[in-house]
Amino acid sequence: MSARRRIVRSRRGGFDLRLPSEERQLLERLPGQLDRLLDAVDDGGERPEALKRLFPVAYARDPQAEAAYAGIMGSELMEHHRESLAVLAQTAASNHLSDDEADAWLAALNDLRLVVGTSLGVAEEPPDEISEDDPLYPDWVCYSYLSFLQGELVEVLSGLLPPPLAGADDEVPEDPWGDLPGGLRWDGTERPEGSPWTES
Amino acid sequence: MPQPDGGVQTIPRSDEDVSTSSSTDTELPWMVVVWNDPINLMTYVTYVFQKLFGFSVEKATKLMLDVHQKGRAVVSSGPRERAENDVSRLHRCGLWATLEQAG
Repeated sequence: MSARRRIVRSRRGGFDLRLPSEERQLLERLPGQLDRLLDAVDDGGERPEALKRLFPVAYARDPQAEAAYAGIMGSELMEHHRESLAVLAQTAASNHLSDDEADAWLAALNDLRLVVGTSLGVAEEPPDEISEDDPLYPDWVCYSYLSFLQGELVEVLSGLLPPPLAGADDEVPEDPWGDLPGGLRWDGTERPEGSPWTES
Repeated sequence: MPQPDGGVQTIPRSDEDVSTSSSTDTELPWMVVVWNDPINLMTYVTYVFQKLFGFSVEKATKLMLDVHQKGRAVVSSGPRERAENDVSRLHRCGLWATLEQAG
């Protein structure tokens, strides 16, 4: 393990954190900001566009089934987001994470990336260079940092995965739509355009 | 994150749920589809597939690349309750997953 790594497996289990203080301050601050955005959703306010990414649609073509699904699963998903963000904020100053806390970090870092990235309009090919004069420059720096840190956490967690489940690979069905041009179903009918989460 | 196999409620079925499409058949399996998005890291998507479904790294990587290149991949199928459960686990990981009935 390189000394530069910020998250390393600990000999006593869990993970050791080696983060500069300015990064810890950011990781303490960001969850609260997102949590306050989530408050607005809980209060019945209109859901900001950037938050829709945290609550994806399950039934893209069946509004009735989607409403029933979201009615049951929405609050559980909200609770999951809040719990993960709380763990990140509470442990950002720690030098050690338990396995559960590391899982919460992964979820919280991803939530933050999804919201910051959506608000920045991140596309498949991100811009090569952002001018420091750009008003969104701090947000791009934040997004890049979150991506870097999440990537490092994914790498260390991937190395700790249990062996594959016997037969799991073979259970995946052939994609009945996979070999047709994008936008078409296997029977030739059109699939809905755009993002499922913007159709709700 | 919380246990992926933690208690997940399923949607109560009603007759109206299944009457909207002539192709709907309660015998046909439900497909869980993961869609491409520009934000989730490729390594993260691969990790989530391995973690949630127990795939080999090769299979998880292939499915991730299908999502990235074809725009979507079917990652599991089965009865509606199981497909809903898989979708909710993927949503907790921030992946863009939907379910729909094959056929």
